[in-house]
Amino acid sequence: MDIGTGLALVGAGLAIGIAGLGTGVAQGQVGAAAVGATAEDPKMFGKGIVMMVLPETIVILGFVVAFLLMNK
Amino acid sequence: MLRPEEMTRAVVVGSMDSLDATIECLYELGIMHLIDFTKQDEEFKLGQPLPRASDSSQKLLKLRSMIRTLNIEEHEPSAKLHVKDIDKKIEHALVTLDVNTSSKAEARQKIQSLIREKEIEIKALEPFVTFGIPVEDYEGFDSIASFTGVCKKDPETALRSKIKGIEFFKEVRKGSIAVAVFVKNVDRLEASRILSEHNLQEVRLPKLVGQPADIVSKHHAEIKELQADLKRVESDIEHIRKQFADLIISSEEHLAIDVLKSETPLRIATSANAFVIDGWVPSSMLPDIKIALDTMCCGLAFIETVSPEKEEEPPVKLKNPKLVKPFEFFINLVSTPKYKEIDPTLILFITFPLFFGFMIGDVGFGLGLVALGAVMRMKLKRYPDLYRLGAIVLVGGLLASIFGLFVFAEAFGVPFHPPPQSPDEASWESVGNIPINPILDKMHDTKEMLAISLLAGWLHLTLGLVFGFVNSYHHSKKHALGKIAWMVILFGLFEEIMVIAGSATETSHFINSTVFAPIPSMITTLSGIKLSIPAIAFIVVGVLGLPVLEGPLAMTEVVGIFSNLVSYARLAALAVGKGAMALAFNSMLFPLIFDSGNIGIAIAGIVALFVTQMFFVFFLGALSAGIQAIRLNYVEFFLKFFEGGGTDFAPLSYERKYSIAKKQEA
Repeated sequence: MDIGTGLALVGAGLAIGIAGLGTGVAQGQVGAAAVGATAEDPKMFGKGIVMMVLPETIVILGFVVAFLLMNK
Repeated sequence: MLRPEEMTRAVVVGSMDSLDATIECLYELGIMHLIDFTKQDEEFKLGQPLPRASDSSQKLLKLRSMIRTLNIEEHEPSAKLHVKDIDKKIEHALVTLDVNTSSKAEARQKIQSLIREKEIEIKALEPFVTFGIPVEDYEGFDSIASFTGVCKKDPETALRSKIKGIEFFKEVRKGSIAVAVFVKNVDRLEASRILSEHNLQEVRLPKLVGQPADIVSKHHAEIKELQADLKRVESDIEHIRKQFADLIISSEEHLAIDVLKSETPLRIATSANAFVIDGWVPSSMLPDIKIALDTMCCGLAFIETVSPEKEEEPPVKLKNPKLVKPFEFFINLVSTPKYKEIDPTLILFITFPLFFGFMIGDVGFGLGLVALGAVMRMKLKRYPDLYRLGAIVLVGGLLASIFGLFVFAEAFGVPFHPPPQSPDEASWESVGNIPINPILDKMHDTKEMLAISLLAGWLHLTLGLVFGFVNSYHHSKKHALGKIAWMVILFGLFEEIMVIAGSATETSHFINSTVFAPIPSMITTLSGIKLSIPAIAFIVVGVLGLPVLEGPLAMTEVVGIFSNLVSYARLAALAVGKGAMALAFNSMLFPLIFDSGNIGIAIAGIVALFVTQMFFVFFLGALSAGIQAIRLNYVEFFLKFFEGGGTDFAPLSYERKYSIAKKQEA
């Protein structure tokens, strides 16, 4: 395995890892607010879930980038 | 399907004589969504409750207080009572029962508070029993001050050294010291200071006469007697409970329904001789209501349809086949669709299990989910939400089994046959030969799975935009055309991705040679990336159309549609992630089980495998796959067309669980 491939693999790991962190931070805050809103009014559950899962796209983008790097 | 039940605006009018019968009739049918009357004028005023309302609600009040006293809120009657019997029994029962229960309840409360009082007195006196001083002697002196209480530290030495002529009593107890201190009035402040330094917690002695020891033992005896009394009263209450709980609960239900009906005139318009009930009725039910009114009100009331005003929004009753109905659960979680909006339940019924099944893709876990769903359907009828969720889990599990059996050919994370890339991997071949070969392998065909995910995304999003077009067509043609612009951009985007993928995957090869075949393939290469000129043209045309059709701000959302499409990559990501997780646990624990040669280690390995498989792969896997499958619908799909905020169809109706009305008698 040459250095280039190794670096690409490190990059793939970083891409999904850091994207995951970003999602975690965002989702933590949205989730806390969503739980609060649901406690006040159970009807907010659906909207809360929608809001909460929005940041997940970040980690999916990370996954796609990692995937493209792995196949280089 | 796709559209809610068609509603007709209708008014029921009649003479006041038939009001009672009409209300009865409407409640029995349970198909009229009433519109509250608000605009009072000289002719029409809000109605008065039916004459029997106040009597019924008084009885109801008594019954409810009895239910609380007897503590039978959760009681379920063993048999249903007929309303005729209820009416007959309740009159008599209320008089005797009410007096009986309330006097018993009062007695119970009195005894309980007496016991509490005595216990508090015992608790206060107990520390001072050994001092042998009568209770009345602790206070009431002119020249002597007294302190009684509990200290954390012993204050004796400090007190005796600072104050002369002191009477001091102490009793060392567990973790504290009970003290009684008598000092001259002049030394009062000093004594108080020293005692508070030793953390004195003052105890106020009850105003009683006699030796504490005598009082305590007398109190104990009295408490015993009181407890016996309490037991008697409790058993009396229990007796009443056993004898009358069924009647009370059934009557409460019957009277609650009666009050509901007899207070309905408060929501409708009445004049001196006539009433008008305004509301919405499902169009298909109109004939039923006509026939029922004719027979039950003897021609004194009838129904007329009226054309609604434009801004009036009919209530929404979703109309779906029985199989699809449980999926309305997901719609209710977000919001009821508006009357004119498309009801996406049917699409959810198709896409949710497909997405879910693709992500789980394992016949072992799939059948596990089918079993779980079946149990929820059979055992949890009492909880309507879980009951409906059971059907969803069942269908999802079924699709997961089908995907697992025919597409991924694996069970419990173990493939039927080892993949050709790693022939040493554990597989079901060591148990038996299953003649099904995988079409896709989770660990090695990731590219193919990504392509399939994006294809699913393109179809799903395009359908969402088509729905968006239909929804906006009525109120804004321009807005509807905007949806077409989005479709064109999405089409270009998808074509570009497929062109880049080229023949690397079978899916992209298939799409390129079918869907995109009629489009001339003019491909240039820009810094190593293949660009399809028609695809770029589609994107540019769509983007240029946006500011005209959707306003300039829509341009900022072009990146959004790209991330919407990429978002479907989670289908592949979760499937791969789950596969990798199962593979990791299996390859860690299989050697322990099969190669260790030690039965203890093998059993530990089996337990560990079971726990990790159950928890991480089955439970968490199903949970996350479920959330992701619904998220793709909620966020990516719904946001293209769904507004929600409709009014739920809430007809005049009631539920009888513990009583039988006349109609059911026949």
